Amino acid sequence: MPEQTQSPLVKPLKIAIIGNPNVGKSTIFNQLTGLSQKIGNYPGVTVDKKIGMMNYQGSTYEIIDLPGTYSLYPNSEDEIIAHRVLNQLSEVERPDYVLMVIDSLQLSRGMFLASQLIDLGLNLALVLNMSDLAEKHDLEIKGFELFKALGVPILNTDARGSKGLEQIRELIHQKNFSKKNQFLQVDDFIDTSLLQDIKEKFDLSNDYQAYQILRFGLKDKGLPLEKRQWVKNKIDSLNINLESAQLEETKLRYRRITEIIEKVLVKKEDRKESSSTIDKIILHPVFGYLLFASILLVIFQAIFAWATVPMDLIDGVFADLGTWVSTVLPEGVLTSLLAEGIIPGIGGIVIFIPQIALLFGFLAILEDTGYMSRVVFLMDRWMRPFGLHGKSIVPLVSGVACAIPGVMAARNIGNWKEKIITIMVTPLMSCSARLPVYIILIGLVVPNETVLGFINLQAVALLSLYLLGVIGVLFTAFGLKSILKTDEKSFLMVELPSYRTPRWKDVIITMYNKSKTFVTEAGKVILAISIILWVLGTYGPPEKMEEIRAERDQKIELASSEVDIEEIRAEASSDLLENSFIGIMGRAIEPAIRPLGYDWKIGIALITSFAAREVFVSTIATIYSIGGDPEDDSTIREKLNAQINPVTGDKVFNKATAFSLMVFYVFAMQCMSTLAIVYRETKGWKWPLIQTVYMTALAYVSALITYQILS
Amino acid sequence: MTADQLPISKSAVIKDVLDSPLKINLMELGFLPGKKITLQHVAPLNGPMAFRLEESTLALRKAEAALLDIQLL
Repeated sequence: MPEQTQSPLVKPLKIAIIGNPNVGKSTIFNQLTGLSQKIGNYPGVTVDKKIGMMNYQGSTYEIIDLPGTYSLYPNSEDEIIAHRVLNQLSEVERPDYVLMVIDSLQLSRGMFLASQLIDLGLNLALVLNMSDLAEKHDLEIKGFELFKALGVPILNTDARGSKGLEQIRELIHQKNFSKKNQFLQVDDFIDTSLLQDIKEKFDLSNDYQAYQILRFGLKDKGLPLEKRQWVKNKIDSLNINLESAQLEETKLRYRRITEIIEKVLVKKEDRKESSSTIDKIILHPVFGYLLFASILLVIFQAIFAWATVPMDLIDGVFADLGTWVSTVLPEGVLTSLLAEGIIPGIGGIVIFIPQIALLFGFLAILEDTGYMSRVVFLMDRWMRPFGLHGKSIVPLVSGVACAIPGVMAARNIGNWKEKIITIMVTPLMSCSARLPVYIILIGLVVPNETVLGFINLQAVALLSLYLLGVIGVLFTAFGLKSILKTDEKSFLMVELPSYRTPRWKDVIITMYNKSKTFVTEAGKVILAISIILWVLGTYGPPEKMEEIRAERDQKIELASSEVDIEEIRAEASSDLLENSFIGIMGRAIEPAIRPLGYDWKIGIALITSFAAREVFVSTIATIYSIGGDPEDDSTIREKLNAQINPVTGDKVFNKATAFSLMVFYVFAMQCMSTLAIVYRETKGWKWPLIQTVYMTALAYVSALITYQILS
Repeated sequence: MTADQLPISKSAVIKDVLDSPLKINLMELGFLPGKKITLQHVAPLNGPMAFRLEESTLALRKAEAALLDIQLL
């Protein structure tokens, strides 16, 4: 390892935290750094880079939270990051010290990774976490023996009860880390003379690091192409079996660890694990699923009940802000852009925060208690035939509230193909934004009647739309399963951790961070699209637009009462929208949407509601110049019911058209925020574009079939 | 026999981890020759299997469990 040249006064020391999954690593990170966390990206992968600052006794330290991993063998993107950072391949992310967290109950598994870190020659300290649980399990770890065997500082903590955190801070502050030469002899599993070239090429002094680069360098896309090509040529020329070397390394490592464990771990008595008894119910083939369904029901109930209050509030505040701006500032293009483009655009981002925060709050609780891996266990078999993974259940279920947190939750899926399929199908679940559209249209054409004594027809219609979404998910996932190709093998190896009470501070920090990520990462795209839509909806051929405005002003002057003025204004804004660029586009697509039963006015609403589905309702209100409160369903419903098609003489919103529209909204990607988050999660425009095209095509064909059958 | 055929709540000792791309993944989780495993739960319709291994419970699909060559206890 190169010597440290930077002074702590100039730049804070970097400490990386690493550990197996579920060892309480993130809790320690959260406790050390609080809300001072920044989430960024590592180049070439979709893994979040979590960095936070720790202030202690006047000094500042930069803490990097690395993804949980069992070894330095990079199988998933998470592990590639751990591999890259700990092999010190990236100058920017090179840590000065490494703090490894070990679950006291899983000592040998933790020591596997720890011994690899020792072999890399890192400045290391170990934290034996959950020492309280070890005591409960009548396990005793002889700390001094372990220190003698490994040669690096060891600390006992119980981070859940925040005991020992002060010690961790002190340890970092005292820089109480140390390097030990070797845990294994590298030439026991590979001829070290072969590694000489690599050490020169990459400027390394450590054999194990050179071996790691030889074995895994090809997998790290963060490595420059020239170097990867060099490694490839090197492997080809050496003609050695690196895979068997890796197996040999694994065996030797575990053999030594087992020897150490025998000296270090004292087991007082064999006792039954209490989680197992609880699991008899939670993993029960019948009750297990019933319980899962009830938990989901409670969560959705809570989201619908709690999120609507702040959402309505946000909606109101931004609407008032827009009105206020347009009255206070002088009339003009900039005012209009601010009041009708930027402010509603930001409002459209902020409005998602309650749902995202709440959903991730619940997910964090389920994760933290250990329940989530049980859900993966229960659902895996049901997901697999559709090319999905047990872990896909979380994004899909979240999709019923909102696709955005759903897509964000898909990153836990390790397998690339399963992750992409999950992201591609999650927006087909009927989210809460579709609800206003469904409700208006169902109210128009489905009678509010009860059949067989208790079945409400409107409720049946609503339920059918949700089911249609689920069918769309399964059908599409199945299709993608056969189209997408990958060399990665799908597998499920998941730990079912002991049940624990959630740590509320962690839950809050998760809610905060997820919301922040959404606003900062997806917000830009959403704002850009809102402004484009505003331009298209406000501007049109100038002569025509001026004419309408002049006519409006003239009429207002002649008007006798406030009511008349209201009506004139409503009519004028309808005319303006019809003649804007969006209006022109709406007319242009009319031939394409006529077979679905839509006129050009509905076409306009389809275009504007690309911003978000619920905009359909307000656009329809504007375009049919429905004055008054656009939130009031009954006014809209009456007006829509009265619309007559001038050509056919039929109602515009007849049964066939309304159902065709409902089906269209079940499948169509009418949500720029989802588009933005898919862009963020897949790191490019390829997948969001494919998704938009296929969802629109699916919506079009299904709506066409619906209309043709019903009309 | 292999671990996918282990009856529920029975224990066995791992004799060998069979060759496969997943061999290393199983070994790094602690599925090593000589270790004792107990089958605790099985999800319906041949779903994943949950094994007790030392102080932890680990879920594997049937296909992965079939990579563990075991000796019934």
